Amino acid sequence: MFLKHDLTAEPDAQSLLRAAEAAVRALPPAFPLDATVAVNPFLGQVQESLAQASARLARVAGVRVTQARADLVAQVQAGRIGDEDLAAALAASALPGKPESLGDLRARMHASSPEPRALPTLAHLVERVTGCDWPALIARSLGLWAAGHFDRGQALWTPRPGRGAYAAWVEWATHDLTPEIAGLRGFCAQVAEAPDTAERAILRASARLGIGAEAAETCFHRLLVDLGGWAMHGRWQLWQAELAGETLPVMTELLAIRLIWEEALLAHCPEVAGDWRAVVAEHGAGLDPSSDQVLDVILQGAAERAHQRRLASVLSGPLPSVGRPALQAAFCIDVRSEVLRRALETRDPGIETLGFAGFFGLPLAHRPGGTDALQAHLPALLSPALVSTSHGPDEASDRIAARASRAWGRFRQAAVSSFAFVEAAGPAYGVKLLRDGLGLGGAPLPAGPHPRFETALSAAQKARTAAAVLRAMSLTEGHARVVLLVGHGAGMTNNPQESAYHCGACCGQTGEVSARLLAGLLNDPETRAGLPALGLALPEDTLFVAGLHDTVTDRVQLYRDRPAPDHEADLQRAEAWLAKAGGIARAERARRLPGPGPDRRARDWAEQRPEWGLAGCSAFIAAPRSVTRGRDLQGRAFLHSYDWRKDKDFATLELILTAPVVVASWISLQYHGSSVAPQLFGGGNKLIHNVVGGIGVIEGNGGTLRPGLPVQALHDGAAPQHEALRLSVFVEAPRDAMTQVIRRHPGLGHLVGKGWLHLFALEEGRVVARHLGERADPENSWEMT
Amino acid sequence: MENLPLPALAPLILAVAAWGLMRRPGRRPGALPLVAEIAGLASLTLGLAGLGQLVLRGPLELAPFGIALMRLDAISGALSVLVGFTGWIVLRFARRAMDGEAREGRFHALTLAAIASVMVVIQAANLPLVLAGFVALALVLRQLLLFYPERPEAQRAAAKFIRVWAAGDVALAMAIGLLGLGTGTVEIAGLNRVAELEGAAVPGLWLLALAAVLKTASFPLHGWLTEVMEAPTPVSALLHAGIIAAGGFMLISLAGLVQQSPGVMAALVILGGFTALFGALVMLTQSAVKTALAWSTVAQMGFMLLQCGLGLWALALLHILAHALYKAHAFLASGGAVQTVAAQRKPGPVAVPGLRAVAQSFGLALGLYLVVATGFAVLAGEKSPQALALGAMLIFGVSYLIAQGMADAAPGALTRRTLAASFAAALAYFGFQVLAEMLWGPVLPPAPQVGALEGALIVLAVLSFGLVAFAQALFPLWAHHPSTAGLRVHLANGLYLNALLDRLIGGFRSPMKS
Repeated sequence: MFLKHDLTAEPDAQSLLRAAEAAVRALPPAFPLDATVAVNPFLGQVQESLAQASARLARVAGVRVTQARADLVAQVQAGRIGDEDLAAALAASALPGKPESLGDLRARMHASSPEPRALPTLAHLVERVTGCDWPALIARSLGLWAAGHFDRGQALWTPRPGRGAYAAWVEWATHDLTPEIAGLRGFCAQVAEAPDTAERAILRASARLGIGAEAAETCFHRLLVDLGGWAMHGRWQLWQAELAGETLPVMTELLAIRLIWEEALLAHCPEVAGDWRAVVAEHGAGLDPSSDQVLDVILQGAAERAHQRRLASVLSGPLPSVGRPALQAAFCIDVRSEVLRRALETRDPGIETLGFAGFFGLPLAHRPGGTDALQAHLPALLSPALVSTSHGPDEASDRIAARASRAWGRFRQAAVSSFAFVEAAGPAYGVKLLRDGLGLGGAPLPAGPHPRFETALSAAQKARTAAAVLRAMSLTEGHARVVLLVGHGAGMTNNPQESAYHCGACCGQTGEVSARLLAGLLNDPETRAGLPALGLALPEDTLFVAGLHDTVTDRVQLYRDRPAPDHEADLQRAEAWLAKAGGIARAERARRLPGPGPDRRARDWAEQRPEWGLAGCSAFIAAPRSVTRGRDLQGRAFLHSYDWRKDKDFATLELILTAPVVVASWISLQYHGSSVAPQLFGGGNKLIHNVVGGIGVIEGNGGTLRPGLPVQALHDGAAPQHEALRLSVFVEAPRDAMTQVIRRHPGLGHLVGKGWLHLFALEEGRVVARHLGERADPENSWEMT
Repeated sequence: MENLPLPALAPLILAVAAWGLMRRPGRRPGALPLVAEIAGLASLTLGLAGLGQLVLRGPLELAPFGIALMRLDAISGALSVLVGFTGWIVLRFARRAMDGEAREGRFHALTLAAIASVMVVIQAANLPLVLAGFVALALVLRQLLLFYPERPEAQRAAAKFIRVWAAGDVALAMAIGLLGLGTGTVEIAGLNRVAELEGAAVPGLWLLALAAVLKTASFPLHGWLTEVMEAPTPVSALLHAGIIAAGGFMLISLAGLVQQSPGVMAALVILGGFTALFGALVMLTQSAVKTALAWSTVAQMGFMLLQCGLGLWALALLHILAHALYKAHAFLASGGAVQTVAAQRKPGPVAVPGLRAVAQSFGLALGLYLVVATGFAVLAGEKSPQALALGAMLIFGVSYLIAQGMADAAPGALTRRTLAASFAAALAYFGFQVLAEMLWGPVLPPAPQVGALEGALIVLAVLSFGLVAFAQALFPLWAHHPSTAGLRVHLANGLYLNALLDRLIGGFRSPMKS
């Protein structure tokens, strides 16, 4: 045995690697676009307050985390934010350097807030000296490599698969002459001599760049931010690995790659060493929010309080309920359901709607037709426990057809054969141009084949699953003859971000599979037989029917998977109600979206704004529907049905606070991040999007991946369509029970305790208390309102 | 005015619409985007009416005061319909896609102006008017590439474009002077009638060819085309569908003149053939959909130049038409690439054909070629050696399709399907070629007699295309071998020609900061 001196085991090295790990965790994951879900872009900062995050992200990315000062002040001047909101937000702030009084706040807010500037990287410093645009060059060169490395099947000739990012990049960069042509002499040779592991590369670069442990975290964070969406995609790979109980070194490898560039640039231009030392010193300084950042956070809080004030005035107590409902319809909690639910309820006083996360409690991994691969159909926070499939009797021939069309696709793409392709098939594209130009392609969102469980479920398991879902939905008594389970999806054409409009609770798929499987399960005689033993009695004549709400057109398609002649009249009546309600919802939503009607938008391949998605989302209400029924919540509220009186030991409350509330806050923070920091967390301009690797988009020729919401999803061109407000969560439940749940779950504790969402308690449908958030102490977490 | 070719009115209508939109350059200019689309539809209608005129009355020329301005013949007629059609589709797409942009009206005005300029280029009856069209096009396109002027990448792309394009215009201007000096005419019809190429006309023709290859993004100055994705999607569609082929179209219009010089023809074969293979290989390595499409255009335009050089003028024109339709659709539909990739992953791993399967598929393809070519020879008459060689090159491509179904792991049903698709593809392109010869053959010169030079070039072309096709079919066997990793890196970078051009023109410098 040789004793090998391991550099990475030294204490300094340990703290540097810990800082690297912290920097890795500071970035949010970006899901690939084929099945994307909203992620809180501040996921790495939830243990900090908004003010601290604002200091950190200003340093590493040059972005703000609140609405622009001028926009907030304009709201004060317009009277939308009142003095009471300003005073309350000021009083709630415990930040040093805050204005002393309301007068002081009002006096200081008119000064403009300085634009945050990120600390420069070495690439920026060298650019200033040499005039060569190294940041752009690194983005272009790394982007070209990363596009190939992360490619999932766009290019025919991808790099050798199965290798880590670091090894793959070293091989690439030893051959890539672009940096040398741009003037970085000897770069290939320097890369060839790079350390054999990413960790050693990080340590060597830190030593050469003089990055000590105290400066390392934000310094590394700064460099990872420079890689933009590529790093966030790497973070997603790590996320997936960790969900499966494994780990992946991709993020430290990306950091090492970027550090090798910095090393080379310092060697290329040693005269920036002095400036660089100053930058490192700034990285080592504490992260205290500036007085301007404090002021912006207070104004942001005031805007949220103004919004909460208006919401509280809408919540004025529950409506009395009627006898057995004529129809029950469960929708996803998605804010787009709120409009349709409200419209549907106006059709008949006997119609009752419910809200529940659109995966309807089934933790599915689904195998769609034509493939052996599994798709997750559940919130990104959870791991699947059930397997289902849509494979039918034609699976084998479908597979052959898919493979033949893939062979044709490769014929189109390959060298030499592409010439034959153009001469043989090019003229046919004239017909395709006409068809797509006139929007005559097939209807989006066609109904899929009947899904079924692959996991064999015993009668007892079926009953237990069904009972758990019904309890979680607070749907334990008073069932109507027909209960609709309505998932949602968005039909659109030629839109790379399509999955972002689908159901977030189904991991960016539509809710069709989940709704149809649950309806089948609840109608299954074996399930029904086992329910009474679990304390749940369903009427004999209750039929569950799955449906899909197309959120672009507000049309609902019902899946009549089971013949039900006795219910034919009920179903026809339900379909008529849904059709009417769809018309009302379309009219209401069209007011926000001028231009052609939704049916045309769905089919138009040029459409950049098929609908507004969840833009505008700002509130989450968990309460019986009677609390919100008849209230116009403007399609801005997530509505979860919950009756705490039926919730023994508050297990459902715990589920709601830790899953749907967290998911909703992620969605709202994604819109927040894409609105206030579009250069870091926004998806850019759809008109110059260039889909890359099947995973995401870049803008124009190349550069970094652009995750997040594109401009067109947030802005109609003339005015923004999302007001960046942290989510206000209203729960009708005993305050002590909520406090207990928050204590048990640190992740939720951070969201509430650090003010990433506002939590309110309802009693009898009225707001009675606000969680103190940062000011909460073990004795007292609530203030009465 | 009864000799007025109706498509000649299209540029006027488009220009008037452009003028109207320029007056409301901002966001949501009322019904004007609809007006833009209607202007596009009107120019398509005029193009179709031109075809009617052509059938009823034969070729026409607009020649006020004896100066030939605009022409209508089988070639310009077909192109007018193509540009009218793709122009209309692009304007229609842009009407919806650009809704709400801060400079929405300006975008439509520039798009209309670009289509109008192309319409002038393809219908012009004399070279100075062609040049005028090209110059106008350059100015308009530069503005379109700078539609987001704050983007440094857009500035770099526009800088490259304008330099290469302007060099082409300078070459064309000099060509016009020399050709006029040497032949006494600058009218297209007159130039095609020149019997003997001599004096100043010889360098004039070389400069004309140079202008054409610069404007078709030929190697080594192809780089600008691969960066124009900085402009909104409709611009890419328009550029790759119509504008990029204008240089090749100019050559086809002057086929009678160009064919006078075996040297120019040989140069077109060599440069076009090389560009075709080079672009196609780079395309394989590109992971961004629009970038891959742009490299594909470089390759396809190279192939078109190769066809010109072989004297297969009608086929080159067919290639322009077919490629324009395909590429316009591919760009406009590029947002669907996420789903396309997902669909390709669904059926699991691709069955990899081995050496034997590839050899078999080449044999089958050549057999197929024999059958189809004999069939068409019986129906449509003998083919020139050049046409036979081109057919062989194309059949090499089809063999790739066959090979995918011949892999050991491929089920029989898949083999049958790919074979059927291969047969359909072979029939379709030979059918289209017969059609092209019927439509345009009569107005274009036949392929030149094959001498030693031509023969050598044909053999070289067939061999190199065959080699690349063979390598492509065996691709999965070597693409991930460590020894080819370096080759992949160099190709992915387009052999650094863009980086070198950047270095030359200061493209790596920091953008001017305001």
